[in-house]
Order: sequence, then C-alpha cells, then structure tokens
Amino acid sequence: MQTVAPFSYDFWVAMAPETVLLIGLVAIFIIPNLGNSKMRIPLTNVRIPWFLGGRRFRLTGAAHIPGLIATATLFTAFFIATWGQFNGEFTEVLVKSGEVTLMKIDGFARIFEIIFLGAILLAAMASLDRVPATTYEETDELDEMYNNRRQVDLYILMLTTAIGMSMVALAQDLFVLFVGLELASLATYVLVAFHKESKSGSEGGVKYFIVGSVASAVGLYGLSLLYLWSGSLQLDVLASHWATNGDEVLPILALGLVLVGFGFKVSAAPFHFAAPDAYAGANSPVAGILATASKGMGMIGLVRILVVVASPGESAESAIWLAAMATLALVTMTWGNIAALGSKNPKRMLAYSSVAHAGYMLAALTAVGAWKWGHIDAPADFATVIIGAVIFHIAVLVVFKLGAFLVLGILEMEGGASRLSALSGLARRDPLIATSMFIFMLSLAGVPPLAGFISKFLILAGIINTSVGDLWLSGGVVSLSDLHWVWWLAFAMLINSAISIFYYLRIGVVMFLEVPEEGRRKPLPYGLSIRMSIWICVVATVLLGLSGDFLIELCYNAAEGLF
Amino acid sequence: MSSNQTLNIRNKEFALIGMLLILVAGLAAFFPNLGANSNGDVDWISIPLVGFPILTSAIMLAFASQESRKRKQLIAGPIRLATLAFSLIPLGISTALFFDWLIAVNWEVGYNEYALESQYVWIETIGASWHVGMDGLSFPMVWLTTFLIPVTIVTTWNEKNGATYHPLLLMMGGALIGVFVSLDLFMFYIFWELTLIPMFFLILKWGGTDRRYAAQKFFIYTFTASVIMLLGLITLYFLQPEGNGTYYGSITGRTFDMSKLFSNALAYNLGDGVFLGMDMQKLLFVLLMIGFLVKLPAVPFHTWLPDAHVQAPTGGSMLLAGVMLKMGAYGMLRIPIAIFPDALMYYQDWIMAIGLISLVWGAVVCLGQTNLKRMVAYSSVSHMGVILLGIASMQPLGYAAALFMMFAHGIISPMLFAVCGAFKHHYHSMEIGDMRGMAKFSPYLAVYMMFSWMASLGLPLLAGFVAELMLLLAYWPVYGWWILFPGAVIAITGAYYLWSMQRTIFEGGEHGQPPKSLHGEVPPDITLPENIGMIILAIFTVIFGIFPFIILGMMDQWTVELFEGVFNRGGI
Repeated sequence: MQTVAPFSYDFWVAMAPETVLLIGLVAIFIIPNLGNSKMRIPLTNVRIPWFLGGRRFRLTGAAHIPGLIATATLFTAFFIATWGQFNGEFTEVLVKSGEVTLMKIDGFARIFEIIFLGAILLAAMASLDRVPATTYEETDELDEMYNNRRQVDLYILMLTTAIGMSMVALAQDLFVLFVGLELASLATYVLVAFHKESKSGSEGGVKYFIVGSVASAVGLYGLSLLYLWSGSLQLDVLASHWATNGDEVLPILALGLVLVGFGFKVSAAPFHFAAPDAYAGANSPVAGILATASKGMGMIGLVRILVVVASPGESAESAIWLAAMATLALVTMTWGNIAALGSKNPKRMLAYSSVAHAGYMLAALTAVGAWKWGHIDAPADFATVIIGAVIFHIAVLVVFKLGAFLVLGILEMEGGASRLSALSGLARRDPLIATSMFIFMLSLAGVPPLAGFISKFLILAGIINTSVGDLWLSGGVVSLSDLHWVWWLAFAMLINSAISIFYYLRIGVVMFLEVPEEGRRKPLPYGLSIRMSIWICVVATVLLGLSGDFLIELCYNAAEGLF
Repeated sequence: MSSNQTLNIRNKEFALIGMLLILVAGLAAFFPNLGANSNGDVDWISIPLVGFPILTSAIMLAFASQESRKRKQLIAGPIRLATLAFSLIPLGISTALFFDWLIAVNWEVGYNEYALESQYVWIETIGASWHVGMDGLSFPMVWLTTFLIPVTIVTTWNEKNGATYHPLLLMMGGALIGVFVSLDLFMFYIFWELTLIPMFFLILKWGGTDRRYAAQKFFIYTFTASVIMLLGLITLYFLQPEGNGTYYGSITGRTFDMSKLFSNALAYNLGDGVFLGMDMQKLLFVLLMIGFLVKLPAVPFHTWLPDAHVQAPTGGSMLLAGVMLKMGAYGMLRIPIAIFPDALMYYQDWIMAIGLISLVWGAVVCLGQTNLKRMVAYSSVSHMGVILLGIASMQPLGYAAALFMMFAHGIISPMLFAVCGAFKHHYHSMEIGDMRGMAKFSPYLAVYMMFSWMASLGLPLLAGFVAELMLLLAYWPVYGWWILFPGAVIAITGAYYLWSMQRTIFEGGEHGQPPKSLHGEVPPDITLPENIGMIILAIFTVIFGIFPFIILGMMDQWTVELFEGVFNRGGI
C-alpha cells in the first residue's frame, strides 16, 4: 500500500482517471472558445475578454467538438481504470492529509469508477447524435437547442457528474463522500432540467432538485450528528466507535437521517417520489445515468454507512438496522413493481422498475446485517458474497437499463417516447432495435441467460447463503425454523420478479404485435453513435449473462477488500 | 427512398457484426477447451445436439427478421429447407448414437451414471459448470425432441411467415434438448427458461385471435412457477456440504453439479438417514414441485395450457404438447424425487390425489368441450395425470409407466394437434359441430383423426395402451380399489374421443353437403406435407406400441437402481 499527500505528483498519477477527466473538463472549457476574443463562462451567458482576439475557429468551434472531447476523455479515463484492474498491476493507494485518510484507491473504488465511467461514457456517446427533447423534424429549433453553447454545457455537466461520482467511490471520509455526492447531484439536477423548453423537463428538474436537496440536507444533518458523537467523519474511526458504543441514541438517530439522504439517491420508497418525474422529464441518456450510475453512488453510501460503519458488533446477534432495512426493502420492491404495472409511460415504467431494483439491492444489504446471527465462523464470507452480488448487479444494470433508455432515446429523436404506443410496431420498423429492447426487458425481468438473471441470481444466492448460514454443517438435519427470516426476503424478491414480468412483457407485446401509430410508419432515424451504444449494451447483456465470470470475480474481490 | 435503402443495409451489417461478435466471443468464453473432454472423446452432445440448433436458428432469425415483407416471402422457401436440413442433423446424431453407429455407447447405465458425459468449467465463482450427459431417463426424451422438430417442420410446411417461423421451431427444439441433457442445476434452469422465449413468440406472432392474452398468460404463469422453483434450487445449493474441486465454486464452495448433489444426497439418505432433515425436505420438495407441476400441468395449475394450446399455431402446439409438458415430468423425476425420497413418501398420497384429480378433471372437462383443440388440450392434462399416478405409486413398474407415458404421449399428442391444425387450415374452424360429415370430403384427414384418437384413448398395439396398462398394473397393489377411478377415466376418455369423432367424421348434415363452416366451398383434403408428417407419427406410434421394450429396456436399469439406491426398496 502506498500513501500519497493530496495534490502531490504521485496523487495525480494514482488518480489517473480523475486527472484525465479534469484535463478533459478544462479542454471543453477552452477549446470551443479558441480564436474568439471573448471566452464564455460555461452554463452562463457571461463572456469575458481574454487575450486571443478575433473570431472563433471554424474547426474547434463546430457543434460536435465538445461531445467528441467528452467521449474521448471518458473513454480514456474508463480505459485507464479498466486496464489497471485487469492486468493485475494495481496497488492500493491511500490519500492522506496529515493523519486524516481522505481517499483510498482500492478494488472497491476502482470497480465503481469503472461502472460510473462506463455508464456516463455510453450516455455521452449516445448523446453525440444530439437526442433532442422535443422533435427531430423542426430543424431550426434543433439547431438552436444544440448549438455549441448547449453542447458545451451538456458535456461539462456530464464530466462533472463523473468526477463527483468517482470521488464518492474513492472517499474514506464521509465529508469527502458528501462533497462528491453533492457535486454529482447538482450536475444531475441541471442535466435533468436541461431541456428547459419542454414542460416536463423543467418540471422534473425542479421536483428532483427540491426533493434531492431536502434529502441531502437531512443526510447532512445526520452526518453532523455523527460528527458530534464521534468527533470524526473518518470511516475507520466511526467504525471502531460504533463497535464500542454504537447502541447509544445519537448515532442511531444519525444513522436514520443519513439513510434518508442515501435512500433518495438509490430511489428507495418512500423517498422515490421525484424519480419517475425526473426520469420522464430528462433526456433518455441522462435518465439512464440517473437510473444506473446515480443509483450506484447511493449504494456506495449505503454500503459505507451500513456495512462498514454500523456493522454488527462482536457480541450482537445482528445489525441494529436489520428490521428497518428489511421493511424498507420490502416496501421499495413491492411499491416499485405495483406502480410500474400501472404506468403507461415507458420512461416512468423504467423509473419504477429501477425503484424495484433498488428494493432488491436493499434486500441484499439487509441480509448483510444478519451475518452475525448465531455467531457463525468466517462471517466475512457471507457479507462478501452479498456485497459482491450487489456490485455485480449495479455493474450489469448499466448495460441493460441504460440500453433500454437509449432505445427510448432513439424514439425521442423522432418525437417523444412518453407513451407506450410510441413503441408499438417497433419490430416492423426496426427489428434489431426492437429485439434489443426485448432483450433488455427480459434481462430486467431476470430471464436467463441474460446478465440480469445472473445478477438477480447472485443477489438471491447471497441472501439465501446468509439465511442458511452454517446449517449444512449440522450433518444434514435442518428444520425450517432454523433458517434466518431473511430467507423470506428472497421469497418476496421472487414474487416481485414474477409480478414484474408482466409489465416487461407488455413492452415486448406492444413492439411485436401492434401496428405502428400514425406518423410513425417510417423507419427509425439512424443515429450511428446511439446505435453503437445500444449494440454495446446488447452484446454485453448477452455475454455477461453467458460468461460473466471475470466480472463476478472482480466484484467479489472488490467486496473482499471492504472488510 | 434511397435513404431508406441505405438504412436497411446498414442495419443488416450491424446485425451481422453483432451476431458474429456474440457468437465468437460467446463460444470462446463458453468452450475454451472443447476438444479436451476429460476422456479425450468427442463431445456429441454440447455442440451437435444443443449448440448447433440454437445457433443456426438464431443466425437465420437475425437475418430473416431484417428483410422486408416481400423479401421474407421470397426467402421463406430456402430458409425452410435449411431449417429442415439443420434439424435432421441432431436427429441423425441421436439416432446414430442409439444404434452405436458413431461410437459404442453403453445405454444400460444405472442411477447417477451417465453416458457420453462431458463437463466444462463455466461460471467458476459459483460452481456452475456446463455438464451434459444422458441416461435412460433423458435419452428417450432427447431422441423424441430431435425426432419431433423435423416432423413438426414438415407438418407445418406451409405456415405463413415461414422465414421466421421454422427457425423458431428449431430454436425451441435446441432449448428443449438442452433441458434434457443438462446435468447441472444452473444450466438446467437456464434452458428451462430459455424454452419460454421461442414459444412466447410462436404464440404471439402466429397465434389465433386471442393470442396476446394467451402468450402473456403462458409466459407469466410458467415464469412465476419457475422462479419459485429457483428459490428451492438455490436453498438446496447452499444446504449441501461445502467441498473442494474443479467444479466447486471458488467463492461459495458449493456446486450446481447434479451428479455430485445426487451422490451427496444418496450418502445421507442411506439407511434411516434423511438428507437435510424432514422439515427442509418437505419445504424444498414443495418449492421444486410447484415449478414442475405447473409445467406438467397438474390440475390446480393447468389453466394456462388450454389457452396456450388453443391460440398457439399448429407447430407450437405440437412441440408444446409433445415435449414441453414432459419437461415438468422429467424435472420431477430427475431432481426432487431422487434427492428427497422421504418427502416423496410423505407426500405420496397428495401426489396421487393431484394425479387423480388431473386425470378425472381433464377427462370430464373434455366431455363438455365444443372446441376440438381445447378438448385435445384438456386430454393432455388428463394424460399428464397418469404420469403423476405412476410416480405416486412408488413402484418400479409405475415409474416405467410414467416414463413410457412421457414418450408415448410425446408421439401421439403431436399427431392430435396436427389433426387439429389440419382442421383449422382446411375447414377454418375448430368447432366440433362445424365439420360434420367431413369424412366424405377429406378421407385422409378422417383416417388420421381416427388413428390418433384411437392411439390417444389407448387402443392395444398402439403406444398409449402400453403405458396405461402398466400404470394400472402398478396402481392396483398400492391403492387397491381406488383403481376404479383411473379405470373409469379410461372409459370417459373413450367416450369423449368417440363422441367427438362421431360428431365430426360420420354424422353428415344434409346428404353430400360440405360442412357449414366452408360456406359451400368444396373442402380440400390435407396437403402432402401434412400427410407426410402425420404418417411418420402414425408409423412410430405403431412401432413403439408393438415394441415398447426399445424404450423400456433403456429406462429399466435407471428405474431399478433408483428404487434400490434411493428408496431402499427391491426392484421388480
């Protein structure tokens, strides 16, 4: 393990992906302004004179340049992060300022960086085709919306989200984690409302912002209580504090408040109310980011706070939050699925389905809390299996959930995907895209042999593994009451999957059976890069389902490093 | 217009690139050491019987679905021929394996021994392997599937949209074979679910007027049942003892390998031992049986079947009744019964009751049907009850009856549905009363109908009779006078079949008038492809009726060893 000081040379080298993101961010700031006598401050209309005079260069000022820069930047960062993971030349790095550990670059952080960068890379790539908010037909308006200025802003926000999310993955201090979380959140609030011309966009953005900032404030209050209690926000300090006197009122109260903050991020019911509006209002690739990477960010927070900090003590039977989390998980998955059954808007449907998926992940986390029941030997094994499964779930969710949003993105290019009928007859218009969508839906429902099945399977396996515990040691005599009750969470999860298959299949039926609606008889708009992204998603969905072994191993190794 | 054309071409290129990518990468990941079977033998199962049909049909589907409607009609002929040719390859291989033409195979393997076994590491972390092999239980089912695919393709030769229809049938067949050959729980479950997808599309795209409802009901119903089964499988997985070895999970320390599971369970179940204890056995047995009973289907869970059958196209019905229902019976015999013999003994009477109710209910409901296909579908429910009764009898002979019923029904019921399909195509109706006096106009169809109806109700010398006779013989010593119920049902079966035949074939309306549903047109007799398909099925019904020991001999060893080893009871 290597220790570096913040902002030293080694620091920048160790944090190579983030360094690349920063460089790319600066490049997007500057490059479109090259040649101009004034430089525009991004996200505003303020222009300040700088030393270079004249008109903007035609080449660097072109509308597609920011997107290309952002995609190249994200790809480089993604490549660096992945390369370090896969070739084995990877050392853990601690970022320490004095005695305070700020960040830790380990397997756990890296796998989440890969997930976040991958998701945002796919979304940025898909946005290269300038997915419009309203129509594809009215080209005048389109040019206006997608002139260089808007392009710059969009990709700056995407890169900022990436940096914030990476920070969350790396953070070893709850304060650093919170700063990263807010950086990413603020950027996503703006991204959701990016299409300010459309009513639903601004409505979704504002709702998301208000609910999100309230949740953040509550979470921050929880953090401040934790600080009051322990005098530090360091994860290891908090953990050791919790082990000795975690049964006081103050930390438990703080834990509940922090859960609200992160619960909003993973859109756990009842904190999920803004999510469907936000997803429906946002551009599809952005909604894809919200449903995958943003959710992963919340999951990191939950894992850190629940499993690392508030883990059950040596003498405890189970974690203190076990029952609360089980209720939350149960409510979340059921609510998500029931609500998705009734939604006619495919984006809202996907939003509710992502609530349901959050419920599955919460159920897995709940099972971690049961890992010391009966004082089983080698408890870390159980927790590793579960956390590894959760990480794998988030990783493959990027592939098929984002893919489903991107398919809706193609439909948006020809005018909106807010009704189920927009999908009707898609199989006749474009069999490939329709088949991809159907594969994504089946994967979301957990039908083998797709990636979604493996991930759901691993989560189930983790929960059941914990509930079974060491019963197999007892020489083959097991009674039903010996199973820990978290087994019923697995049961609830399966019943929920059975409910969910209904609305996923409905998409397939609409695409393959019904005739296209009026005005949608023509073939789909082409859009090379968005189709490329969809294809990457489809191939990955199938391949990770058939042979996801390397990724599973990576996720388990990452989870192992956590304990 | 030109932009549209370029667009289509680009799409096709994407399809090609994508499919090839998936294929190459998937194959490379799947079978890094395909040639290196542990004994150095050629693996005759993985690629030739399972991989080949699925991959070829997937490629054909990917290309055919890209074409415009007109082009689809043009390429339908070549694709149909190619599908038939591709489907004949697995049939040839499985037949050759049976006759030892390729390599000498010892089919007389006992319990938990498998012929042509090969195993590859698949998902190492959780201990899932690609493990295939066949024994007396699975080989008849595999052969039946390979036999039914080409027969189905020939029988439904003139189905509309053949460019995608026939590859789907082939894909369905590949997935079904995958279920029967897999010796790994994980792989088993994957193929188990994979069969849903082609069938869903067959019903959705080629079904009747109510196809949307039927397809969704079919998918949701069976999916729900199988996730419950999955819960049981995973719990079972974690309750088995931890171990070390190539096929044990590097993280979980357990294995999905069925043969290891069986030998573990057997070791515990010896003597008075009860693997996992009675409570757990009961729970897991019920969880697994729910999945299998719905697939079978047994009576409280049978409602998806009539809907699916009535709406499904002829080919879909033939495979659904012929092989897919047998998945339930096969799974039952393969997994829960072998692992949880004590739970089976505990629930013996329940299974008997469910079987008896299925038998009686199916038959009684048949009497009231006016739709020919619905009647045949309910008769399937009734026949599947026989399998449950065979299992509940806990007699080697009963098991042999169940196994033989699976096989015999697998040959007879496709013929029933082929006849129904022929009615649908030529008389545009399924209502029994609409076809009165059809024998005058379609003598061939009348003959096939009579033959298949007789075979299904158990005429001696035909395959169905053997199974029913064996069942009654096994049933008597266990349940005594309860035998009156199955006996009565055979009478009811005869009643509804003969009655429906009388109302269809013989009872003409006015003299020389064609049936009502045709509105005065003179009905054609069945086409040549239908003729060929049905005559093949008829020939094999007779062959297996006269020489049942071809199949029974193969199953014999498995059954006897199951009883000696698992139930601790003597053989025949």
